[in-house]
Amino acid sequence: MLEPQMLFVKDLEVEREGNRILRGISMQVHPGEICGVLGRNGAGKSSLAYAIMGLPQYAPRKGRIWFDGEDITEWGVTERARAGITLAWQHPARYEGILVRDYLKLSKPDAGEEDLEEALKLVQMEPFYLDRMVDKGLSGGERKRIELSSIYLMKPRLAILDEPDSGVDLLALGEVMGLFKLLASGGSSVLIITHREDVAAACDRSYLMCAGKMILEGSAAAVKRYFLSQCEPCVEQKPENTGEAALNHA
Amino acid sequence: MHNLSEEYKTLVSIAERTGGQPGSFGSEDVIYIVVHGNRILASHALPGVLIEASETGDGIDARIIVQAQTKVSKPVHLCFGHLADSGRQVIRSRIFLEEGSSAEFQAHCIFPNAIEFLHAMEGEIHLGPGSAFSYREVHVHGPEGRIDVRPVSRVRIDERAVYRGDFTLVEGRVGNLAIDIDVEAHGRRSRVEVTSKIYGKFDDFCQVRDIVRLTGAESTALIKARVVLKDRSQGKFLGLVDGAAPGARGHVDCTEVVQGEARAVASPVVQASHPEAEVTHEAAIGRIADEKIQGLMAKGLSADAAIDFVVSGLLR
Ligand SMILES: Nc1ncnc2c1ncn2[C@@H]1O[C@H](COP(=O)(O)OP(=O)(O)OP(=O)(O)O)[C@@H](O)[C@H]1O
Ligand SMILES: [Mg+2]
Repeated sequence: MLEPQMLFVKDLEVEREGNRILRGISMQVHPGEICGVLGRNGAGKSSLAYAIMGLPQYAPRKGRIWFDGEDITEWGVTERARAGITLAWQHPARYEGILVRDYLKLSKPDAGEEDLEEALKLVQMEPFYLDRMVDKGLSGGERKRIELSSIYLMKPRLAILDEPDSGVDLLALGEVMGLFKLLASGGSSVLIITHREDVAAACDRSYLMCAGKMILEGSAAAVKRYFLSQCEPCVEQKPENTGEAALNHA
Repeated sequence: MHNLSEEYKTLVSIAERTGGQPGSFGSEDVIYIVVHGNRILASHALPGVLIEASETGDGIDARIIVQAQTKVSKPVHLCFGHLADSGRQVIRSRIFLEEGSSAEFQAHCIFPNAIEFLHAMEGEIHLGPGSAFSYREVHVHGPEGRIDVRPVSRVRIDERAVYRGDFTLVEGRVGNLAIDIDVEAHGRRSRVEVTSKIYGKFDDFCQVRDIVRLTGAESTALIKARVVLKDRSQGKFLGLVDGAAPGARGHVDCTEVVQGEARAVASPVVQASHPEAEVTHEAAIGRIADEKIQGLMAKGLSADAAIDFVVSGLLR
């Protein structure tokens, strides 16, 4: 691709169990940009994240994905990660018997104790968490913050963050955004998935997603205005050829 | 004192590399025994602990008594092994902790070259009132071949005594493993915790049979098994807790992870033969969830490395 985008998604279609959950998504993320994807429950935001990360269950039946000008549509998850794409899951997995320290070191194998402590500090966590396990013993919010600090340590080229703000009540919005800005200023691009319009509003640019489609792209403020005023009920945005699709909006 | 044979040096260096406290073997203030085949290469006791060990045709007979109120501060190091690729070793032991005593034992069973080998541990353990005994058995096997391993323990626990047993294979093939542990917690408020962690590969066969009878009032038990099976390996787990006394409480917690063509059977059995006992269980057999593996792959790990990482935690 010739444009200076880092990520370029074109006409992406993903189907799961007969449901067309992504219906021709096109979007892009530029280098160093914080880009938001806003949308209500069930819009397809997580599915888009999985498709970009390359999860085989979300392999597109149509459309292509380019990263740094290379067509990565057929690449596996590991290959994409090694090229610099990573994803913080909406509900990050738990690992029995794994120390937070060892988990964080996956992102930066040569990290010293100070690096790990700094990464935790950025998400308002004390160093003693390094000796906790990444298992069920962590609260949902703690687990998510650890995921954010692991992404910070990775310094990926593109960080996809699926609802990094949900469940993270102790981190004020400003602090979450501060972390993303730090990532971006370090040269990473950040794609933030959210259904909080204030988070989207703090991005450089946003997309509004509805029923498996991007229905709006623009300044974060404009997208937020649209989301608040016109987006409901979203069902009006029925995509064509839906026939079978029972897109349930929670 | 012991003669520093090659066998001694090899066994001890492996034991130290796999969880043994470096410098323990040969130390003046640590209790230890090192046995190669049926030869006792070294043995050291301390006041308050009696060790009688004799060589038999295919192993040793040992009797260990921790005398009343003796608190053994440093872990007792036992090292049993053989460097040959075939043969047999049978370790028969009787361990008695007298009232109020406590000790932690680490047994290192080391068979780095075993291809056709039988290693049996026949232990009888008796914990006197108020004593505490923790027994950790660590195995190091060869990278190939089938070793037959038969750890069998019969444990009796008096009132307020605490038993903790832990079996881990840290290196090499499981081979053909049959753990058989039978505990009777007949003392009031006695406590039992039995843990097995096994990683079966290729055509390994692992069978774990942990049985705890809670016949003492208010006695408690936890049986925990983490079995990971890949390739064509097979595993069978039987965990049984019988709550047979008022206020007895028990729990069986078994997770078997199966990859490849491996097969697993888990039977957690809980029974309350006394109406005021409470026993529960959780058992899961399954593959490692995709999201766990993919979460690690998104950090750049290969699928295999991701599985090994998850397994390292399960078996920790
Ligand atoms: N495996 C699946 N099989 C069938 N439908 C699925 C599957 N996974 C997701 N969907 C459907 O696809 C749609 C989009 O789901 P997705 O999780 O991407 O939404 P989302 O925008 O992330 O929602 P939320 O805000 O709740 O996280 C939903 O209607 C969901 O029910
Ligand atoms: Mg989602």
